[in-house]
Amino acid sequence: MSNTQESIKRQPMLPLSKAVEIAWKSIRLRLSRSLLVTSGIVLALAFLMSILTSEAMIKGMRAWIANPQISVTREQQQALRDELTTKTSNLRDAVAEAAKARRTPDPKWDAEKVFGKPLAELPRELGMTLPLTAPELDRAMAANPELVPMFQDWLVTARQLKAVRDEQTAPQRLLAMMEANGVPSNEEAIEQSRTQTNWLIGLALLVAFVGILNAMLMSVTERFREIGTMKCLGALDGFIIKLFLIESLFQGIVGTVIGIIVGLTLSMAAVSINYGSFAWKNMLWGDLFKAMLMCLTVGVVLTVAGALYPSWRAAKMQPIEAMRSDV
Amino acid sequence: MTSTAEKTTAQPGTLSEYTVRTIDVKRVYRMGNEEIHALKGVNISIQRGEYISIMGPSGSGKSTLFNMIGGLDKPSEGKVYIDEVDIAQLDSYELAWMRCHKIGYIFQTFNLMPVQTALENVMLPMIFAGMNTADAQDKAAEILKRVELGHRMFNKPAEMSGGQQQRVAIARAFANDPSIILADEPTGNLDLNTGKLIIELLRDLNKEKGVTIISATHDHKMLAVSDRIIWIRDGRVDKIQNRADLKIETGTIEGAEGEIH
Ligand SMILES: Nc1ncnc2c1ncn2[C@@H]1O[C@H](COP(=O)(O)OP(=O)(O)OP(=O)(O)O)[C@@H](O)[C@H]1O
Ligand SMILES: [Mg+2]
Repeated sequence: MSNTQESIKRQPMLPLSKAVEIAWKSIRLRLSRSLLVTSGIVLALAFLMSILTSEAMIKGMRAWIANPQISVTREQQQALRDELTTKTSNLRDAVAEAAKARRTPDPKWDAEKVFGKPLAELPRELGMTLPLTAPELDRAMAANPELVPMFQDWLVTARQLKAVRDEQTAPQRLLAMMEANGVPSNEEAIEQSRTQTNWLIGLALLVAFVGILNAMLMSVTERFREIGTMKCLGALDGFIIKLFLIESLFQGIVGTVIGIIVGLTLSMAAVSINYGSFAWKNMLWGDLFKAMLMCLTVGVVLTVAGALYPSWRAAKMQPIEAMRSDV
Repeated sequence: MTSTAEKTTAQPGTLSEYTVRTIDVKRVYRMGNEEIHALKGVNISIQRGEYISIMGPSGSGKSTLFNMIGGLDKPSEGKVYIDEVDIAQLDSYELAWMRCHKIGYIFQTFNLMPVQTALENVMLPMIFAGMNTADAQDKAAEILKRVELGHRMFNKPAEMSGGQQQRVAIARAFANDPSIILADEPTGNLDLNTGKLIIELLRDLNKEKGVTIISATHDHKMLAVSDRIIWIRDGRVDKIQNRADLKIETGTIEGAEGEIH
């Protein structure tokens, strides 16, 4: 067949950029179909990402409980306690001394104005008793204004002591919060809940995979004539495959990125609501970054896997389909 | 004209001037136990630059024959030669090359890419041929101007009338200067007047570029412009008429008209 070799050449492969260009146009113009593919991926990946995020955050908090970075030493706390004891007895003495003068109370005195809240509420805020009962203190300060700065000074020290105590009991409090939220604490329970979430994740990914497969198959059958025409114009099988793979890859990446952002934000918000500032005490940014990469990989693999068979179907279509006038 | 000339010189004068030749082409469709003999041995030879109309009643096998000539389907028996190359011998890359360079297809349903502009549609075969974008753009614009669509280059198919869409499709078919244009009922979806304009355009391009045009049709306006008319009936060539014969006995056309509802 020397004739064949002379007159008929082989069709060249096209650069990838051409397929990218055509696929991009097709997505833009078929936005609703694209959104259908994308939304499935968004949901599945948001779910995966939110689970990984809360896992990482809880892991961080557990690590913090095991090794809390407490800045105050026992000695400093003891010193504060001693200081407060001294100030308490000083204040009591001063009140007793002032009572002897029997001055008339200032009718305009209002403790709430000076301390921001009624004196009776202070014991609950501080978690300790005042040097005297609230009414006794109130009466003493109303008659003897020189006692006011003394009590204010006492209050500052008391608040410092309270902050130090809070810091030292924080791990226990966090542990109690986690237990209240049903977070498993022992190895066995952790293992069990992990199997459970793995099943859920698998299910979500499967649903997303079927969604992509279905949407891409629809997209292929919808474009039978278009594909046939392209083959009549000289498109190679490989080009058609690339076209559909790139199309789904675009959607997959966009869906995955949106899903990661949604999952991350929702999960961080939920953990923050449950644990307050504890959520941010020991954020494992490295783990979160790894989770993001993993989600991106899963999303991309998922879309490519879901688009493989439909793309192959499209490529194997005969150009004769273009000629059918009854579609 | 240029590319046709090149391809001719590429093959020494020992070859015949036939651009399409079918030898005893048969096509059997199997549907369950039933066998449909769509073509029962068709022998035709078409010369370079001819304008051929293939006429025949519905179901006579016109489209089937077209698919054979265009390399879109393989004969059950027999051979099809395009420029003296047996197309059954070609692999998929060579077939794609042939569809891209040697044959231009025009469809009844236009078959433009809905997401692309007229210009991009005409560029597509050139891109498949490996031409760079800038050159393809210039050439596509030039062809579009030739079919009087210079002002609609950036419109999408949905924004154009049927006649305009078919003219874009014609421009696309001519994109790589093919030696054969295959048009299966190119006026089937168009009204009388628009169809007439399309036929005239095809005739003009046939003269201008020396391209072979093969058109299946029910449209009797086609007859007047054809060099030859191949009548197909029941999967066989019924008769072949030259234009000269046609002019003499116009009665044949009248007679033929009765067959079409
Ligand atoms: N894919 C197919 N499978 C089975 N039978 C087919 C197929 N394509 C065509 N046929 C049959 O082959 C015969 C010829 O069909 P063809 O489409 O070639 O006719 P045609 O001359 O183009 O008709 P029309 O003028 O209506 O387009 C018909 O009997 C048709 O039913
Ligand atoms: Mg037909």
